[in-house]
Amino acid sequence: MITFQNVTKTYKGSTVALHSCSVEIDKGEFVFLVGPSGSGKTTFIRLLLREEAPTSGCIWEAGKEIGRLPKWRIPYLRRNIGCVFQDFRLLPNKSVFENVAFALEVIGRPKHVIESQVPQVLELVGLAKKRDNLPHELSGGEQQRVAVARAFVNRPLILLADEPTGNLDPTTSLGIMRLLDRINRTGTTVIVATHDAGMVDQMRRRVIELDRGAIVRDQANGVYGIDSVGAAADTRPAVGLPVDQAAVLGAPSAIPGGTGAAHRYAGRT
Amino acid sequence: MPVSPSYVSREAATNLWRNRLMTVAAILTVAVSLALVGSALLLKQGASKATVQWQNGVQAIVWVKPNAATPLISSIGSELRQSPYVKSCVWRSQPYDYNEAKHLLPADELQATTQSDYPSSYRCVLNDPSQAPAVYQQFIGRPGVFAVKYPGQQIKTMQSVIRVLQWVFLAVAVILLLSAAVLILNTIRMAIFARRREVSVMKLVGATNWFIRLPFMAEGLIQGLLGAGIAVLAVLGLYWGLGLDTTGTVANQGSILHEMAVSGWNVIGTCAVVAIVGIGVGVAGSAFAVRRFLDV
Repeated sequence: MITFQNVTKTYKGSTVALHSCSVEIDKGEFVFLVGPSGSGKTTFIRLLLREEAPTSGCIWEAGKEIGRLPKWRIPYLRRNIGCVFQDFRLLPNKSVFENVAFALEVIGRPKHVIESQVPQVLELVGLAKKRDNLPHELSGGEQQRVAVARAFVNRPLILLADEPTGNLDPTTSLGIMRLLDRINRTGTTVIVATHDAGMVDQMRRRVIELDRGAIVRDQANGVYGIDSVGAAADTRPAVGLPVDQAAVLGAPSAIPGGTGAAHRYAGRT
Repeated sequence: MPVSPSYVSREAATNLWRNRLMTVAAILTVAVSLALVGSALLLKQGASKATVQWQNGVQAIVWVKPNAATPLISSIGSELRQSPYVKSCVWRSQPYDYNEAKHLLPADELQATTQSDYPSSYRCVLNDPSQAPAVYQQFIGRPGVFAVKYPGQQIKTMQSVIRVLQWVFLAVAVILLLSAAVLILNTIRMAIFARRREVSVMKLVGATNWFIRLPFMAEGLIQGLLGAGIAVLAVLGLYWGLGLDTTGTVANQGSILHEMAVSGWNVIGTCAVVAIVGIGVGVAGSAFAVRRFLDV
């Protein structure tokens, strides 16, 4: 589904946001992207959205090499990708229903599709009753649910979330994560960039850790930080698996075959 | 992807209303500049019509009686060419002159005339224009000569005044058109700024570039069109107000304005030019704004 091959992204000046990153994410995976501020998480997301082009290296996404995508094809790429942000990015003068419908309108979906799809996805995120409310009448968690609904209403192949719970309390965050999990179980690949250590530890999904633009860890059923659960570096307490040294310590190239990491690890147990 | 016209017009109308003060300024500037362009064109057409017989340096015309026999006509011609005042001279047949008259004469006068009772003519370029009265003296009253005409000071003055006016009008109009384009550009820029949230969401969910751009382009187009509409009204007002229509007004009888009457087709042509320039300015202004400020 997504393959990074030696991707480097340098911004103006000499800031290196990503340095020779190689990683592979399969269809239907749920991946946490963790690391301190400035480690390259947002650049990772922006590259996937093709808001930026890589300085060097190749990114394959949904069967296409997106670095070489002509400009006019980019909107069509983005129709396969849903995206959620920390600041929700809802339109304040549109109701919940209209905000979600907007995503379908602007890609030219006919009215009857909008009228059947939007209530369905609002039901999924649990906001069917608030369809006529304006965003400012909703709580933060509810607003983020609307944003998730908007990202998912077009049934994208990939759902990207950049700090989706950054503005929310732990309980509400858990609700959003459950929602993302449920979306993941429909077969959508979900990538979540986050600082929320508790959430990552609780979910036990594949974790890719970035530090100063390099991938320093790629671990199936991982935790936020190696130290955050004490012995995480040596064992996987939740399921008691032996640690995969290559994945924890090695460069991404050390991942055997480089494909389907999470599934293979799961299979190896 | 097809972009529905109703969507584009709805969004454009919303933008225009949100920015109505700037919109009015832009429309009025377009209108004033195009009204200048239109009147300059109209006056130019009227002036060249009024002076059509005096183009190509013709300084004297000897009209030959319609019933004159061919040998008489050619003898007048040879006499003219031998005249010390005349540099060169061209014969215009009855059909030619009648054709020309069709554009010059008011409809009622034309109806009373047929080709066979319209005079043919010799158009002469003189060695010295001030000798025109001498040519008049030499040929008036000769057998076969119907009339001798030379342009009065009036026409010469008019030609030069109109030439100057025309350039002044056009120069002012060009400057105003440029500022109109800048005003349109600015309204579009403000509209884009006011809707930047929506635009960013549209980009995020995969709206095509044209889907995002078209409402803003339509906004510029509408401003240009509205301005052009007002300018067309001004041109028509000038046309009817001065009585430049072909039937002429009684009040203009005998005045230079009567000579300047232009046909309906000239006016329609002028209005078309005004409308096209208006659309062009609107689209150019908005296209530039969209390229510059709508980074898609």
